Amino acid sequence: MSDSTQVVSFKLGPEEYGVDIAQVQEINRMVTVTNVPRAPAFMEGVINLRGQLIPIIDLRTRFGMPRAEHTKNTRIVVTEVGTKRVGMVVDSVSEVLRLPLDAIEPAPDMISGVDTEYIRGVGKMNDRLIILLDLAKVVTNSERRELEAADVESAA
Amino acid sequence: MAGGEFFDRTEFVQYFRDETEELLQSIDADLLRLEGYVDAKNPDPEIVNSLFRALHTIKGSAGMLDFAAVQQIAHKLENVFDLLRKDRMPLTEGGINLLFEGRDVLTALVRAAIDGGEAPDDAKDFVERLDAFAGVYDETAQAIEGPRDGLDDEESLEPIDDLAVAAFQADVERMLAAAQAAQPAQPAPAIDAGDAQAAVDAFLSLSPVASVPAEAAVQPAPRAWQAERPTSAAAAHDPKRVAAKSQTIRVDIERLDLLLNLVGELVINRTRISDIAATLGRELNAGPDRGTASLAKDLSESSALLARTTNEIQESIMKVRMVPIGQVFDRFPRTVRDLAKARNKEIRLEICGADTDLDKTIVDEVGEPLMHLLRNCIDHGIEAPAVRETRGKPRHGTIRLNAYHEGNQVILEISDDGAGIDLQRVRDKAIRLGLIGEADRLSDREIIELIFTPGFSTSDQVTDVSGRGVGMDVVKKNILRLKGVFDVDSRQGEGTTFTMKMPLTLAIIQALMVRVADELYSIPLDAVIESQRIDAGELRTVHGGEVITLRGQVVPLIRVGEFFRLDAPRDPDKVMIVIVGLQGRQVGLVVDSFQGEQEIVIKPLSDVIGRIPGISGATILGNGSISLIIDVHSLVASAYGGNGRVTRAEFSGV
Repeated sequence: MSDSTQVVSFKLGPEEYGVDIAQVQEINRMVTVTNVPRAPAFMEGVINLRGQLIPIIDLRTRFGMPRAEHTKNTRIVVTEVGTKRVGMVVDSVSEVLRLPLDAIEPAPDMISGVDTEYIRGVGKMNDRLIILLDLAKVVTNSERRELEAADVESAA
Repeated sequence: MAGGEFFDRTEFVQYFRDETEELLQSIDADLLRLEGYVDAKNPDPEIVNSLFRALHTIKGSAGMLDFAAVQQIAHKLENVFDLLRKDRMPLTEGGINLLFEGRDVLTALVRAAIDGGEAPDDAKDFVERLDAFAGVYDETAQAIEGPRDGLDDEESLEPIDDLAVAAFQADVERMLAAAQAAQPAQPAPAIDAGDAQAAVDAFLSLSPVASVPAEAAVQPAPRAWQAERPTSAAAAHDPKRVAAKSQTIRVDIERLDLLLNLVGELVINRTRISDIAATLGRELNAGPDRGTASLAKDLSESSALLARTTNEIQESIMKVRMVPIGQVFDRFPRTVRDLAKARNKEIRLEICGADTDLDKTIVDEVGEPLMHLLRNCIDHGIEAPAVRETRGKPRHGTIRLNAYHEGNQVILEISDDGAGIDLQRVRDKAIRLGLIGEADRLSDREIIELIFTPGFSTSDQVTDVSGRGVGMDVVKKNILRLKGVFDVDSRQGEGTTFTMKMPLTLAIIQALMVRVADELYSIPLDAVIESQRIDAGELRTVHGGEVITLRGQVVPLIRVGEFFRLDAPRDPDKVMIVIVGLQGRQVGLVVDSFQGEQEIVIKPLSDVIGRIPGISGATILGNGSISLIIDVHSLVASAYGGNGRVTRAEFSGV
C-alpha cells in the first residue's frame, strides 16, 4: 500500500498528466466561467461552486500550449493545494490510477511544452507515460507570474 | 454624567420599541379574528388569552421604562380582556370597535413615549369612554366577586418591587450566559466540529428571537409578569449592569434559513462519519488490511467536507451578525440634545447612513469612541451661540454623523462646523507638557497628531461632558484595536472631521448593477452619485481624455470596458455614465447599460488570482452567476496611473 500512489490522470493534447488524488476535490463538467479582466492570460476566470468562488486556471495556457476549444470531454479538476482551491481546465479526465512508486522516475530535463519545475516525476505504466504535477508549484508560480505581469503593467 | 445607565435605558427603549411593534401587530391580527365572534356566546379563549398576554407584556415593559400613559392604557385594555375571558362581559360590536380604537391609541402613546413627543389629545377622552364602557361590567363583576384586591393595580402601576427586579436580573443573567455561549464574540479561526454543532444547536434553540412565537403559542397565561420576562429579557438590562451589552440581534429570516440548511448538511455528514467510523472499527476487528485503506480515505474525505460546511456555517453566522450602525446612532440625538443644553449651545445633529450594515462586534465596540468624539465636538468644537454669531455663522452648530461602505471598509465620519482645532493652543500645551521643544518646527498635521498623546487635553476647564482622563489617545487606541484607521481633519474656524475606517471581511452592500461587454459588474452604491444617459455628441475631449460637462462641472470619463480591456464597442449614439464621487471629486464611468440596484455579499477573489486593478471582489447573484465588484478607488487611481489619489492637476487640467 505504502509503495504505491493514487493519481487522477487527465489529458492535455496528446500528453497524459497526473495529480495526487488527495489533492483532487472533485471533477466537474465545464460550466460558465466569469472572466476576470486584466488577470494573467492563463487565468480563465472564476466559477461559482456551490456558493464558493473558485479561480479557474486554463492548464494549457499555463503550460504554454495553444488553447483548445472546449468539448463535451472538457473538465474542471477542482484541486486543493494547502488552503487554496483552484480549478484547472483540462481536455479530458482519464481515470484514477494506482502507480507503484518504483514506476515513478524523476523528471527528465526536458519535456515538450511543460516547464520541468512543475513536474514531480514521470510515471510509467505499461506503455503510458504520466507526467506527475507538483500542484503547489503550478499555483504558487502563477501568483508570481501574475505579480510580474502587474509590475510590467505599472511600469508601462 | 451617568453615561452607562443612559446607554442601557436607550437600548432597552429600542428593545421595547421592537418588541411592542410585534405585539401591536399581533394584537391587530387577534382583534380581527376576535371580530368574527361578535355576539357569539363563546369567543375563542385562545385569542382572548393571547390579547391579554400581549397587553400584559406591553404593560410590564412600559412600567420598567416609566411610560406611565402606555402602562395605564395597556392596563385598562388588559382589564377588558380579563373580563372577557372570565366571561363577565359579552363581546359586542361597540365593544370591539372600542378595542380597535384602544389599539390605535396605544400605538400612538407608545410612539409618543419612545420619541419623547406629546401624548395624543384623544387619549384622555378614550380612557374616559373605556372606563365608562368597562365600568358597567367591572361593577357587575365586583358585585359578584367582591371588590378587586388591589394587587393587580399595584403590580402594574407601582414601581417594580425588589423581588421582581431580582427575578428579572436572574433571568437576564441566564439569558446573557446562554446568548454568550451560543454566539462567540469573536469568530474563531477554526471551529471544532462538535463545538460548532453544539453552538448551532444552542443558538437555534435558545435564541430568544427564534423562540418567541413558539413560547407565546404554548405558554399558559402567565400571572406574574416575571414569568414572561425571558422573552424580552435578553436585550433588557438591569440598570445596575452598566457595562453589559445587548446580546440579542434581530435577523432576516432568510439568513437563518441558510444557516439551517447548512446545519442540515453538517448533520448528514456527521452521521456519515460515525457510520464510516463504526464500519472501520468492525473491519479492523475482523482482520487487518481488509479495505481499511479505502475506508480511511472515505473518512478523511468526509471530514474534509465537514470542515468545509463548518466554515460555511461560520460565514453564515458572520452574516447573521451584521447589524445596522443605526443601533448605535439611535442613541445620539438624545445625548446631543441633553449635552448641548448642559453646555448652553445650540446644536443640530444630522445622521446619514444609519442603515449601513456592519459586524455586531464592531457596532458594539464603536459606540464608545463615537460617543467620545461627539462629546468632543459638543464641548470643544461647536462654539457658544453668541460666539458663532460674531463669527458670522448660524447660531446653531451642526454635527454630522455619517456611515457608508467604501470597498471592503465601513467609513464612519463625525464632523462639526465649529471652531476647529486651535493649533497654536495645542502647540503651547505640548510645549508646556514637554512633548515638544519651543524651537521645534511641526507641520499642522504633526500638531494635530499631538492630541493623541496620552493625557493630552486642550480644554482649559474640565467639564462633565468631555471629562478628563479619557482622551483622544484612548479613542484612537480603540479604533486601532478594531483594526481600523483613525484620521482627523481640522480647519481653524471651519470645523473638524473625524474619520474612522473600519475593516469588513464580509459586508452586504447595495450595488448598482451595470453591464459591460456582456458581463454584469457591481458598483457599490456608496460611491455612486447618479447615473446619466447622454448623447454621444455631448462628449468633449481635453488633453486627449474624454469629459462631459455636468451642471457646469467638468467630469472626466473612464470607459470601463476599455479599462478592463474587454471587447466593448463604443455606442455611437448614446453614452451611459455612472457618476462616482471620489475624495470630493467626480468621475464618470462609462458602461454599456444600467441593470438596477441590488443587495450583494462581497466575496474576496482568491489570492491565486492576485490583485486586479479596479476589482475589489465578487458576488454571487440569485441565479448563481458571478458579478465582479468594481473598486472605484483603485479603478480611478489605476486609470490615472496614480497611487490611489486623483491629483488636483488631473482635474484642474481641464
